[in-house]
Amino acid sequence: MSSVGSEVQACTRKSRAFAATLWIKRVAAKLWLGIREWCGDSAYERYVQAQSTNPEKSCLLTPTEFYVERVNHRYSRPNRCC
Amino acid sequence: MKRPISVVIWIVVALVGAGALGTIAFHRGEPLNATWFVVAAACCYLVAYRFYSAFIAARLLTLDDSRATPSERHDDGRDFVPTNKWILFGHHFAAIAGPGPLVGPTLAAQFGYLPGTLWLIAGAVFAGCVQDFIILFCSIRRDGKTLGEIAREEVSQRGGFIAQLAVLAIMIILLGVVALVIVNALKSSPWATFTLAATIPIALLLGLYLRFLRPGRVLEASFIGVALVLFVVVAGQWVADSPSWAHVFTLSGVTLAFALMAYGFAASALPVWLLLAPRDYLSAFIKAGAIFSLAAGILLVRPQVLMPPLTRFIDGSGPVFAGKIFPFCFITIACGAISGFHSLISSGTTPKMILRESHARFIGYGAMLMESFVGVMAMIAACAMTPGVYFAINSPASIVGATSDAAAATISSWGYPLQAQTMADLARAVGEQTLLNRAGGAPSLAVGMAQIFSSTIGGPRLLSIWYHFAIMFEALFILTVLDAGTRVGRFMVQELGGRVWKPFARTGWWPGILISSALIVGAWGYFLYQGVVDPLGGINSLWPLFGISNQLLAAVALVVATTILLKMKRLRWIWLTLIPMAWLVIITMTASYQKIFDANPRLGFLSYANVLAAQIAAGKIPAAKIADTQRVIFNQRLDAAVTAVLAAMIIVLIIEALMQWYRILSSDPKSVLHETAYVATRWTEDFSGASYVRAAAEPEAPAVEG
Repeated sequence: MSSVGSEVQACTRKSRAFAATLWIKRVAAKLWLGIREWCGDSAYERYVQAQSTNPEKSCLLTPTEFYVERVNHRYSRPNRCC
Repeated sequence: MKRPISVVIWIVVALVGAGALGTIAFHRGEPLNATWFVVAAACCYLVAYRFYSAFIAARLLTLDDSRATPSERHDDGRDFVPTNKWILFGHHFAAIAGPGPLVGPTLAAQFGYLPGTLWLIAGAVFAGCVQDFIILFCSIRRDGKTLGEIAREEVSQRGGFIAQLAVLAIMIILLGVVALVIVNALKSSPWATFTLAATIPIALLLGLYLRFLRPGRVLEASFIGVALVLFVVVAGQWVADSPSWAHVFTLSGVTLAFALMAYGFAASALPVWLLLAPRDYLSAFIKAGAIFSLAAGILLVRPQVLMPPLTRFIDGSGPVFAGKIFPFCFITIACGAISGFHSLISSGTTPKMILRESHARFIGYGAMLMESFVGVMAMIAACAMTPGVYFAINSPASIVGATSDAAAATISSWGYPLQAQTMADLARAVGEQTLLNRAGGAPSLAVGMAQIFSSTIGGPRLLSIWYHFAIMFEALFILTVLDAGTRVGRFMVQELGGRVWKPFARTGWWPGILISSALIVGAWGYFLYQGVVDPLGGINSLWPLFGISNQLLAAVALVVATTILLKMKRLRWIWLTLIPMAWLVIITMTASYQKIFDANPRLGFLSYANVLAAQIAAGKIPAAKIADTQRVIFNQRLDAAVTAVLAAMIIVLIIEALMQWYRILSSDPKSVLHETAYVATRWTEDFSGASYVRAAAEPEAPAVEG
């Protein structure tokens, strides 16, 4: 009886550890996504996605063209404050 | 059951906040621990966000999540990008957080810790956050239009033009002043100058990497850049220790001023991907890291605040800048409590990226609370050093004397004991030749930050590294404001020039680029130069000028907000914007009047010019110095004229607004609200921008209108 009980306990511990690992992985993935989006790393993917769902299709820019156009546009109006 | 618990929790938060505020306000005698400041600020912000901002969102603005935002209606993946609220909060905060909330409170510490801290908290809660939140809301309801466009539509054509002029004026003065802060921080400091100079080739390297090797891979490029920047902070010590290299990087104020002008011109005229954008990425990461480290350092070290709650200088005789506590405490704090410049960000990129109207509360109101908290931390860092040391660093030589002995004697005579040896030891400990007469706020803030950081990691051994890290952090993101601002100013000049001669407005036309860049650099460069050669230290006259123009722009934003609220028939709650607006107009007008006409030559531009003119007439100025003195006289009169023009602009705008308000209240059919028509959202309730990239690839992706 006691050996079954300890097996159950060990199993519970394992499943808890597994759930915790999953949770950490999920949080880390979300954090990574957030950082990529915040700094503009995923901007091109986002642009390609928006273009694919946009009914008014226009010529898709290459990553370099998109990057240059994006920074040109971004720094043509107040975007850094005092 | 949940509700009573929540009520109890909020009562406890409010009581703790009130207790901490009461302790800050009424404590006398022994130094106070900085924890009280952190607790007071945090509790006030929590209560204000939970109740005041919720009240504004629900009763004043009636935010509507069923309404499609501009990012949903115009989603193009470039300009209009639906963005998760936490990420947009990060974007918005990175955009609004500049050197202002660090430098302003550091300078205002000359009145003691109390007035500045109270204004940082109250000003943010009742004015700054309200302005940012409401202007963001107004821009969302108008397809992301700018403040100038909204003013033109809702107030009057002339109102819009004044708003545009105010933006250009504040930009020029702002750039001149922040450049002066860098000059005063780098002057005669080979370590700091080398570190900052080295960030330029690092930024160029990143620019080439992002353009040709790994287009758009900002994260990996930034990691490389941050590692290189940290290396050059350490390498700066080797430069300072080498007599030949130290000589190369030991520059005078005037040389540094011209170097900054050359840099501003290059950053404005060169392709933006080459220098400006990569520097901004670097700056954003270092800014975020340094601000979080400072917060963590203050919480870990819990320093004692050595500055008294009120100093003798509330009477206007302060050495850092002249002027009484009213209105100059408010004018000096500026961005940490309310900043007109934020209204440009709130009506710029953010409204085009927001997912839902309700997010405006978190982003508009919340980010400004965070900025105010940065201001409180800067106040703690400045007040944690001995008052004598604070005044020795921040006072010009013409007031305290140019030598350690003279400065120690003068400052001690004010009642703030200081040994000459203390300044020499401190300068040696931070790896500088001297820390005397380093007006501008940046060096004293760096000393405060370095003391906090070194108490956490490394001890006194690393004080010099931390000091130069702090100087690099401040200078790096001031440079970002400088180059980004110069470029935006160039576009404004081109737009204005285009009204006279059309080809000038073409942003890709090289003669236009070069002429407009030279004009904008020349304009702020002139203010910078006059600040560098000013015997009173420059900051004395220029920071108040910057504060006045910044608060003027905030008044413009609140006038626009009040007009829109009247058009929305929110007469009952109009005081929410009307009172902060009236307060800003009162402090701006009082400060403008005193800066122009006050009889004290340290305060009034005209009286200082008259004193100098009288000295020339009486033959008291040596012949060799007459030309310089005449230049100072001209500069003082120019500053008086600039202040008068700024004040006149706000008076004209208020008259325009009053006429518009009269028309609204008398139900004139011409006074209509120019909101975009209601379109229902097609996004599901739990839709989040963060999941957009992944979600959109799946069949249940939200339908997006073209």
